[in-house]
Amino acid sequence: MPVELIRSDTHIDFLGRWKIAVGVSLAVLLAGVAGFAVNGLRLGLDFAGGTEAQVRFATDTDEGAIRDALSPLQLEGISVVRYGAGHQEFLVKFKGERRVGNTEPATEITARNDRVIAMAEALEANIGKVELERTEYVGPKVGAELREDGLEAMGYACVLILAYLAFRFSARFAPGAVLALVHDVFVTASIWLVFGLEFDLRVLAALLAIMGYSLNDTIIVFDRVRENMERRTTYDLPSVLNESVNQTLSRTLLTSLTTLATVLALLFLGGDVIRPFALAMTIGIVVGTYSSIYVASPTLLWLENRFGDQAKAS
Amino acid sequence: MSTRARVISTLLVVGLLSWSGIGNFFDREHREANPLIPDHALRLGLDLRGGAHVVLGPDLDASVTNELARIEGMLQERLEDDGITAVRMVVSGLELRIQPATESDAEKLRSLLADDFSVLDVSEESGAAGAPTQFRATLVSQEADAVRERAMQQVLEVLRRRINDPQTGIAESVVTRQGDSRVLVQIPGVDRVPEGIVKTTGLLEFKIVKDYAESPELLRQKYAETGLPEGTEIAVERAKPEGDEKQGRVIGAYLLNEVADITGEHLVDAYSRFDQQIQEWQVNFVWSDVGSRIFAKLTEENIGKPLAVLLDGEVVTAPTIRGRIARQGQITGAYSQASAAELAIILRAGSLPIDITIEEERTIGPALGQDSIDSGLRASAVGVLLIVVFVVYYYRLSGVYASIGLVANLLMLLGLMSMFGATLTLPGIAGLVLTVGMAVDANVIIFERIREELRAGRAPRAAVASGFSKARDAILDANVTTLFTAIILFQFGTGPVKGFAVTLSVGILTSVFAALVITRLLYEWKPGQANVTELSI
Repeated sequence: MPVELIRSDTHIDFLGRWKIAVGVSLAVLLAGVAGFAVNGLRLGLDFAGGTEAQVRFATDTDEGAIRDALSPLQLEGISVVRYGAGHQEFLVKFKGERRVGNTEPATEITARNDRVIAMAEALEANIGKVELERTEYVGPKVGAELREDGLEAMGYACVLILAYLAFRFSARFAPGAVLALVHDVFVTASIWLVFGLEFDLRVLAALLAIMGYSLNDTIIVFDRVRENMERRTTYDLPSVLNESVNQTLSRTLLTSLTTLATVLALLFLGGDVIRPFALAMTIGIVVGTYSSIYVASPTLLWLENRFGDQAKAS
Repeated sequence: MSTRARVISTLLVVGLLSWSGIGNFFDREHREANPLIPDHALRLGLDLRGGAHVVLGPDLDASVTNELARIEGMLQERLEDDGITAVRMVVSGLELRIQPATESDAEKLRSLLADDFSVLDVSEESGAAGAPTQFRATLVSQEADAVRERAMQQVLEVLRRRINDPQTGIAESVVTRQGDSRVLVQIPGVDRVPEGIVKTTGLLEFKIVKDYAESPELLRQKYAETGLPEGTEIAVERAKPEGDEKQGRVIGAYLLNEVADITGEHLVDAYSRFDQQIQEWQVNFVWSDVGSRIFAKLTEENIGKPLAVLLDGEVVTAPTIRGRIARQGQITGAYSQASAAELAIILRAGSLPIDITIEEERTIGPALGQDSIDSGLRASAVGVLLIVVFVVYYYRLSGVYASIGLVANLLMLLGLMSMFGATLTLPGIAGLVLTVGMAVDANVIIFERIREELRAGRAPRAAVASGFSKARDAILDANVTTLFTAIILFQFGTGPVKGFAVTLSVGILTSVFAALVITRLLYEWKPGQANVTELSI
């Protein structure tokens, strides 16, 4: 006997539970709205602009000492947080733009251009030996562009996927799949908002990857729905949908599990830089699996009941 | 195709692509010495090897403004030739405003603009009651684009020269254009951008000194009653010795002509040199033929007077002219070795014609890069191991097939990316790990389908055949949509995130090939044509 995660004779009435599913999804989305109200939309460096420096001291220190050391520099909107394990690595962030050019007096250029260097010098003088492990600066123009481009990219991805699904399956299937993937992106984003996490390019990359990936499961289900519909001359759509979801349940879960395994390896072993990406992917994969079972098919059914007449007529 | 042909062609594809990737496991010398090892290998992104990634935004509009100012000058000359002098002209931003004194001047101006200044788009505004017509001119859009483009090319050229400078340049640095109006500068192995490269604009001017005082205030006091002579301005000199606390303070003020006697555009070379006699670093420069003539005349006529050397509007040094100098000269001024070298580069490379803004700058120290490589590889290895253990446990021999496919997939991915000289970034490693997870999905879909067919009572061979054919569409559909998002990410993403899009896209292609072709062939090997009653799945 083969090892089975899901017994092949499983029959669960997934569609019958659509009310619970809607409730769960709405609850998370509402929590996201609440999170937005409390925490606001926290944009990371890529989108908000500013400077971020990851510094490592040779000896232990704390945020207060760093703030004190930097206060004479009058860095605008400064924040200092501990990074990674231990008390030696910190992330210093501040706002403001940099500029080089021949219209400004040389000393001013130097003063602006050297803020990161000035920071390092102040830390070295007041606390001790420090290493600049990573510095990032994003100017206001680039920040705004990345924000716009990010939203545009998500929009394009939606449209392209919708068009492809309509072309491959028929216009009836596409809205359910797209709603499922929009659902995944919003639910993942909601969880991000609830915990007040920062949105940056890495998270955007994860959200886009989720859009592409969460669709895989939905496609597997819809592919089976299509096949089951073609096999019969008459059918009752709800039962075909339920049957298809059940038939594909084991592969929906298994594919998610294997991908989840690798993403979890990234989350725990991939290091700090990649962690936000891995976390968003982890959430997205779980949500995507849920949505391909509980969101895509009910939407298809709902749309058919409301607008379609072919299903019942044929 | 016969099975034999398919086996051979598949082995060929996998073999060639794997071979293409082995360059990554050898260092450059081995690769070049051994003809069996391909020359290409993945390039490591700056986020992995350490370095600076800088996006610069030249103020291209300023080049249009400069061009308008130049045209203004030409127009002024033409009008003076025609005896019209009372015309007020102002360049403001991208517009040249012209205000003639009388309507008859306006008439002449109109025909002059129409005949000889076709690069201008002119609109007229009737002045207030009795006042003559005003003109507003902008560059025609084609011309403005051409001016911007020229400025962009010049910026690229100057940055390239500075960054590839033989004396202080950094190997493997790249200056590339990004879109219409940005320049991407990538410098490996530094934890900050060398300032001389983007900071100083490097406008070198020589002017005869008319007067001098300790400070601008003192100098201005001298002319308190008369005001500064027409056509002159004050330039300051600052203390230079590095480490001195006086550094940056104004130590002198010079009264100079507004227009330079000669500028750095006539230089052909500049280099830093240590002068044994005065024990100081200095910058030597060499004039072109034209430059030599002008400079010889200038020095000959002004022997005994101080000559100010200005860089970007500030006096660097003001030695007294001792005799006629033609071809060569030096700038001395208490330079350190580094600052002398920096000035030499700037003089050699020419000046940046317009302001440049740093739009984005990301630097990674080499230690952090190595950490990222280590943890990325560790996560990949653990990911692969988890998957292999799982599929072999769950699908037995079929799981082994899937694992073979997975390894072939990774080898092909590495080979393809090396062939294209792709850059591996940290998000790229994440894409690699994700590819591993997703590659197995296709196998899972196929295997589950085969199990289903077996449950429906099909014979193993038939179950394998129909499992593959029925799963194929779903696998293709699922991967095409992921490919879409990867491509979109490549279009919109910047820097390292692009690396994620690249590995993800290539990984999708290789994993579909691995699942649909390689594992399929393994089934043809065993059970193959044998009429087995059971399948290890």
